[in-house]
Amino acid sequence: MLNEERIILMTKMASYEEGEGKASMSIGKYFRGDYIAVRLLRAFLSGTIAFVLGFGLYILYDFEEFMADIYKMDLLVFAQNVLIWYAVFVVVYCVAIYVISAYRYGKAKKSLKCYYHNLKKLESMYRQ
Amino acid sequence: MRNLLEIREKVKLLYSRSEFILVPVLKFMLAFLTICMVNGELGYMSKLDNLGLVLIVSLLCSFLPNGCIVLFAAVFSLMHLYELSLEVAIAGLAIYLIMFLLFFRLNSRDSVILIFTVVLLGMKIPYVIPIAVGLLAAPLAAIPVGCGIVVYYMLTNISANATTISSMGADEATAKLRLVIDGILGNRAMLVLIVAFAITITVVYLLRRMSIDYSWSIAMIAGVIIDLVVLLVGDLMYDTKLSLGMAILGSIVALIVGKVLEFFRFCVDYSRTEKVQYEDDEYYYYVKAVPKMSVSAASKTVKHINTQRRPVREIEEDEDMTIAPQRVNRSVVTERTGSGRRSGQSRPYQSRGGSRSVTISSEADDPTDDYEEI
Repeated sequence: MLNEERIILMTKMASYEEGEGKASMSIGKYFRGDYIAVRLLRAFLSGTIAFVLGFGLYILYDFEEFMADIYKMDLLVFAQNVLIWYAVFVVVYCVAIYVISAYRYGKAKKSLKCYYHNLKKLESMYRQ
Repeated sequence: MRNLLEIREKVKLLYSRSEFILVPVLKFMLAFLTICMVNGELGYMSKLDNLGLVLIVSLLCSFLPNGCIVLFAAVFSLMHLYELSLEVAIAGLAIYLIMFLLFFRLNSRDSVILIFTVVLLGMKIPYVIPIAVGLLAAPLAAIPVGCGIVVYYMLTNISANATTISSMGADEATAKLRLVIDGILGNRAMLVLIVAFAITITVVYLLRRMSIDYSWSIAMIAGVIIDLVVLLVGDLMYDTKLSLGMAILGSIVALIVGKVLEFFRFCVDYSRTEKVQYEDDEYYYYVKAVPKMSVSAASKTVKHINTQRRPVREIEEDEDMTIAPQRVNRSVVTERTGSGRRSGQSRPYQSRGGSRSVTISSEADDPTDDYEEI
């Protein structure tokens, strides 16, 4: 005989697995530290590429003036300034990514906890 | 109200039944509209301004993930920019890549929001965006909204300066780049719009999540007011040439759209709110339960009540069989209607529909019929 409560629970869980659960399960495979580390590594790489692109646009924006001044300026100080800007940019971006990743991980774990609780409930229903 | 609720149930039913065809059709329409807008705004490469090509690409987008609409729209716009000037295309590509690497990568699932932002800005009704996004998404959705605003202003700025750019020679490559970058960084109206929308999205999200009665309506109204205030302050500070009449009109449209969204996503009856308090070993619980408003959609089921029959020959063979004096063939239509009660008054998974039976026909069989009743 059909168990209405069981069917409702299974439908809810199937819907979760198809929708929100997909992302949560892929996050749930990692430990918190690993997940955040992978995100930070990606953020570092993409932040570096974005900084290079932005720096390229900055140079091209005033290319003639830059080329005229290149022999006058202290290249070491210029490189030092660029590196400081790069470090500030990447650190700020990575901090933002850290906060977002930690929040997402916590949220995913919470929803997975609820999902596993439902799994246990379903299992107990079958035992009855 | 009950009629509206019934219509809502019918719409939901229709969507759930034909989701597999409706979603691709909607994606097709969105992709078609977006690419047509890009072609209309830029349109420098005549080969791309081809209805057949746009239809094929839109058809592809209807089956591919949502992000592909963004990708194809970006490719189309970059090709138009390349036709205008190589330097402008390089600047456009760099800006797209920076946006993708820094922001869009974080929230790629919200690509539809970016597309809608560009489309609604093109249709001059941008004030709907922060209200709708605040009601339906999370504050992080401000990122695709911001990206959409940047893309729109970049493309309109290039389009407005197209004659200047095309008249520039090859030796003025940096001047062309400067024109594009200044069009973004120096555009105060764009920056004010991004700030106003980000604040509005956050405020609407926070208010609609609060445990207060009519939270969605309060969030909408507060969002519209904050949006207008920030835009007006921005206008006073940076002279963004804000059209106050259009802003108020757009805000009214945003409120109407917000109410429609509320009706479909958060239709609850605050008059029947229940507050309960209980405890277990570890916690005290203060629970506020607000019942949803819903009625079951009217549905008709046709029951054919036919008595079992056998061919005449079989009956004749069976001499012990008594033939019924009158043959009856009835069709009964059972109409199920909503009970008029709301879901909070009954168990959630119980059938809520009342029913009545109507006899449509009761007819004697044709004597020439080849079948006899047993």
